[in-house]
Amino acid sequence: MKEPWHIRLGIWAGIALLLAWSLLPIYWTLASSLTPTVEFNARPLHLFPEHPTGEHYLRLLGVLDGHMGGVDVAGEFRLALFNSILTSGAATVLCVLMSLLAAYAFARLNFFGREVLFYAVVGTMAVPGYAVLIPLFRLMVSLRQIDAYLGVTLIYVSAFLPLCLWLLKGVMDTLPRSLEEAARIDGASHMRILFSIIAPIAAPGLTAAAILTFLGAWGQYVVPLVFSPKDTKPLTVLIPEFAGKNFVDYGLIMAGGSIAIAVPCLLVIFLNRYLISGLLAGSTK
Amino acid sequence: MVLPILLTMGGLVFYPLLSTAWDSLHRVNPMQAGTPFVGISNYTRVFSDVEVGQAWLNTFKYVVIAVFAETVLGVLAASLINQLKSGRQWVLAAVVLPWALPGVVSGVIWQWIYSPGPGLLNGLLVMIGLDYEGHLWFNDSTSAMLAVSVVHIWRMLPLTIVIVLAAMQSIPGDLYEAARMDGASRLVMFRNITLPLTRGAIAVAMTNATVSAFNLFDEAIVLARNSLETRPILLQIYLEAFKKLNFSYGMALSLMVTFISLAISLGYVLRIHRSTRLD
Repeated sequence: MKEPWHIRLGIWAGIALLLAWSLLPIYWTLASSLTPTVEFNARPLHLFPEHPTGEHYLRLLGVLDGHMGGVDVAGEFRLALFNSILTSGAATVLCVLMSLLAAYAFARLNFFGREVLFYAVVGTMAVPGYAVLIPLFRLMVSLRQIDAYLGVTLIYVSAFLPLCLWLLKGVMDTLPRSLEEAARIDGASHMRILFSIIAPIAAPGLTAAAILTFLGAWGQYVVPLVFSPKDTKPLTVLIPEFAGKNFVDYGLIMAGGSIAIAVPCLLVIFLNRYLISGLLAGSTK
Repeated sequence: MVLPILLTMGGLVFYPLLSTAWDSLHRVNPMQAGTPFVGISNYTRVFSDVEVGQAWLNTFKYVVIAVFAETVLGVLAASLINQLKSGRQWVLAAVVLPWALPGVVSGVIWQWIYSPGPGLLNGLLVMIGLDYEGHLWFNDSTSAMLAVSVVHIWRMLPLTIVIVLAAMQSIPGDLYEAARMDGASRLVMFRNITLPLTRGAIAVAMTNATVSAFNLFDEAIVLARNSLETRPILLQIYLEAFKKLNFSYGMALSLMVTFISLAISLGYVLRIHRSTRLD
């Protein structure tokens, strides 16, 4: 049955509005990062950069001179980009690996206190991060893990483990046991079963868990603000600092912002299906 | 196999949680020697603290604004996307995008959009003939609160849309077919089929919206620094603990916030439980 034209028009207008609301700020970031600084105050507003330039990116990445106001902005930016990739990547790998092992144990093995331990770990999803921030700070000070990669990575891992465990345990509960039983009879160890039989079948779930962890770690602000003040400072801490310095102009900030949002954008575009399934599993706990 | 997860969770979540509770009964401040037992004075102090009161009020306003807007707009957007016959994945990917971006970076992006001179918002308003040239959005507290809320809604609306849309997609098409045979209008179908069958999902989405509005921090600190007029309760805790170094007072505050946030989520969960049992 064909819809009347005015209803279809209404739906398309609504969708257009929704897309504009979601995408316009992102488009504007990209457009500003390509606009020469002198044209920012041009009126009427140009929705498209009239003389697009890659200058902001070249200065930010240190191809052109990246010193501003006596500060090596390019050097700081490259370090922060490296730090963001390193800590988020390491946290993702550790978190998925640890929760895969634990999910297998909770789903397939019988041991004392299984249920209690599982719900104790998953239950911490309801505990907001700030409730443990201050004692963690004192702990990390005494362990000399302030401004160290290990400390901040482990905090990310502890923040996203419960969600990953919940997701992966859910996946394993739905997998038929018959596959593993054949392998068990052939004498395969638990580790072998897990990594060569279960992990490949559970790949969509693992992907969802990895995306959620990576996006979460990539976007962290309070944790690195407290625990990564200098050498391990990630992009999320550096970019707002730029905004507070008058010698760093907005073209440069928007170029930095574009790079910081490019990674999540690519993940959403290419792995959206897994992301949505992970979001749904995580939110309807 | 469970050892790594238990060690991590034990060391970095359970131990700190207990130590929060313990230390909140003492005076812990690196600038003052000793950690004497002070009973519940850290808790009673909360009630006479004017800044905490203001921050609570702000957080309360954020929650009301965000939950209302995200629920109404989220249900509306989900039903729009649900009408699409093709390209749904692409629209959904575009809509989810704001959620996936780092909160502070979104804050910086919107700060640039709100900026009085070269900002996009004033530029667009001037373009359609309104006198907003050089308008300052952070000059009075109402518009500053709204500006911060808009950024938060921009980030969190996708979650509501995804949850509600999934529920809408699981409604069998025959129901609508039958209703159409009976000559029901779109509005009637929405009210009598879509809404009742997505009620559980809407409640879940509202819980998520409440908790995330409670945890609002990134947007406020980027857009309005430490301004008391827009300061949410989490920012108050952060300033108290890491700027003034009143660790134990910060811990008492954060425990109170945790309990209130848990109580709210629990309230929702119980209501969903009851309503689904009645169905």
